Amino acid sequence: MSPSSAVAEPVAPAARPGRYPLALFRSELQLVFGRARTWVLLAVLAGVPLLIGIAIKLSGSEGGGEGFIGQVAGNGLFLIVASLGLSLPFFLPTAVTVIAGESLAGESSLGTLRNLLTAPAGRSRLLAAKMVALIVFCLAATLTIWLSGLIVGFALFPVGDVLLLSGTTIPLGEGLLRALGIAVVIALSLLGLAGIGLFVSSLTSTPLAAMAATFGTFIVLGILTAIPQIDVIHPWLLMFRWTSFADLLRDPPYWGAIGKNLLLQAGYLTVFYAAAWARITSRDIV
Amino acid sequence: MGATQRSRRWLVPVAAVAVVAGVGTLGPVVADASPKLPGISAQELLAKVQTAKVDGLSGTVQSSADLGLPALPGVAGGSDSPSGAVTELLSGKHTARVAFAAPDKARVSVLDTMAERVWTMDGKSAWAYDSAEREAVKLNLPAHQPGKPAAGTPKSYDPQSVAKQFLDAIDPSTKVDVSGTEKVAGRDAYKLRLIPRADQTTVGSVTLAVDSKTWVPLQVTVLPRTGKDPAVQVGFSQVSFDVPAASTFAFTPPKGVKVTEPKTPTTRPDRPAKPIDPKAVPGKPNLKAGNEPTVIGEGWSAVVLVRGAELTGANGPLDQLLAGAQQVQGSWGKGKIVTSKMVNVLLTDDGRVFAGLVTPQTLQDAAAKAPR
Repeated sequence: MSPSSAVAEPVAPAARPGRYPLALFRSELQLVFGRARTWVLLAVLAGVPLLIGIAIKLSGSEGGGEGFIGQVAGNGLFLIVASLGLSLPFFLPTAVTVIAGESLAGESSLGTLRNLLTAPAGRSRLLAAKMVALIVFCLAATLTIWLSGLIVGFALFPVGDVLLLSGTTIPLGEGLLRALGIAVVIALSLLGLAGIGLFVSSLTSTPLAAMAATFGTFIVLGILTAIPQIDVIHPWLLMFRWTSFADLLRDPPYWGAIGKNLLLQAGYLTVFYAAAWARITSRDIV
Repeated sequence: MGATQRSRRWLVPVAAVAVVAGVGTLGPVVADASPKLPGISAQELLAKVQTAKVDGLSGTVQSSADLGLPALPGVAGGSDSPSGAVTELLSGKHTARVAFAAPDKARVSVLDTMAERVWTMDGKSAWAYDSAEREAVKLNLPAHQPGKPAAGTPKSYDPQSVAKQFLDAIDPSTKVDVSGTEKVAGRDAYKLRLIPRADQTTVGSVTLAVDSKTWVPLQVTVLPRTGKDPAVQVGFSQVSFDVPAASTFAFTPPKGVKVTEPKTPTTRPDRPAKPIDPKAVPGKPNLKAGNEPTVIGEGWSAVVLVRGAELTGANGPLDQLLAGAQQVQGSWGKGKIVTSKMVNVLLTDDGRVFAGLVTPQTLQDAAAKAPR
């Protein structure tokens, strides 16, 4: 930003509606989902089930493999679960990092944050709107995979009753519902990372730096999770219980680990949202 | 807004960190606070435990074993190979669902990461199911033997049977007292503590948390002689004493699952039950047939001797362990000693393996006394 812009200017009229919270949230959603890059990210995520589905179809394996991937050939519904599971360690965090890193730093770099911060909307409310947009994006991302997995799975493979981990079978409808539950749980699992991203984004006016720093943090946490010597701190690490989503496929579902995972995400979100709030409300407008 | 006033806003995230960390660390402690219960003597409590009888129960069992073996990166997973199974047993944290209605009606399902292993028996047949392999093993239970536990059922996931094993072994070698109360699985429980009198053993104490209403042991904790962290802890995190429905124990092989049916009931060789019994020694690799283990000594200082165990081979983590083992010698010969917080193993150069929950010196004494 040029130094001249640091000089206090007369308060510009609100660029976007801010008087009503709903209007602010709506404008934030329009901002996130109006961007081409958001749609590119969602398209990439939608491509994951397609890629896996075609690979399994071409290899022609008859359900020989282990785990969810091995069940896809026998029941297309497992393409949803397998795609969600495979996207969780890398694709989904990348997408969330990009959107979260952009959220505040992007406005900063364009100079629009200044307008927003002086607008009657209030800084706290602006931050809340950014967070809500992030949550909606997380849900959109996993539901995209769910939907794409559903279409590809049903198109390429036979579907039928769903075999649960406990060895019991449930009807297809309930299976789809549980897969939907998995999509929601995974979306919520990403919120801790989204909170970190939002905070980092409030620190800088370079979106790329925010994305890199957030993703770096994610990588470091991932490495720490993989070191057995420090298993004392493992329960505190962001992605330690990410695999708990599969507990929804037990009979009955086991909520213990899922609950702990969501509590952990809520903890991360609280801390980093509070930090982002402290940063954004104490920040000088430049 | 002044600068100081603004910087004070940073107190909010700091407070958030404190609250989150506080809830995370203190929450479980507060929930486990000692309940107030009328006093009871160890003898009364023991008697109540031995006569405890429930018609059925179901719940979630958490088990963790930390025998102090060095953690080896890269071998944490994979329970398919024998070495993987050993590693899994020695440093494992497991969650299992258990249900019990009669000696021949029981179900244990171990909740693995994105997989589940189920053992169940409904009185007529027993099933073992592995969701990762999507394979089921069926055994027809012999008739008129209701008292006999089914093959392959890892009984040690049931704290009740684990406790019984310990109680049966009680003799003058052990000091027994009631060391207080605690909450286990939301129930008020007495703590029955067993302290070995012999100082040859590495076991510091074994504590049973006994439910104050049904007198069923809800948790077993084994503490090493040194250190405060439990070496083994098996206990309910949630329990109900309602008799589970009969359908709980039934197993219908789903479509697409390979079912094998061995002719005679045998234990599944690749899934050893979790050894918590002081005499059992986890991790005896590749035993040749005919080499029956011999027990030297008794009680806490018992040492197990195995001859001609094959110790090298494709056993990656074991070789790693042995490479760092201490070289010892005595009147019994030369060998290597593998030490950990709980289990110590002496491997002599002539192929004998001594193992036990005893001090390394006790192992060497046993080796000196043992016939060749």
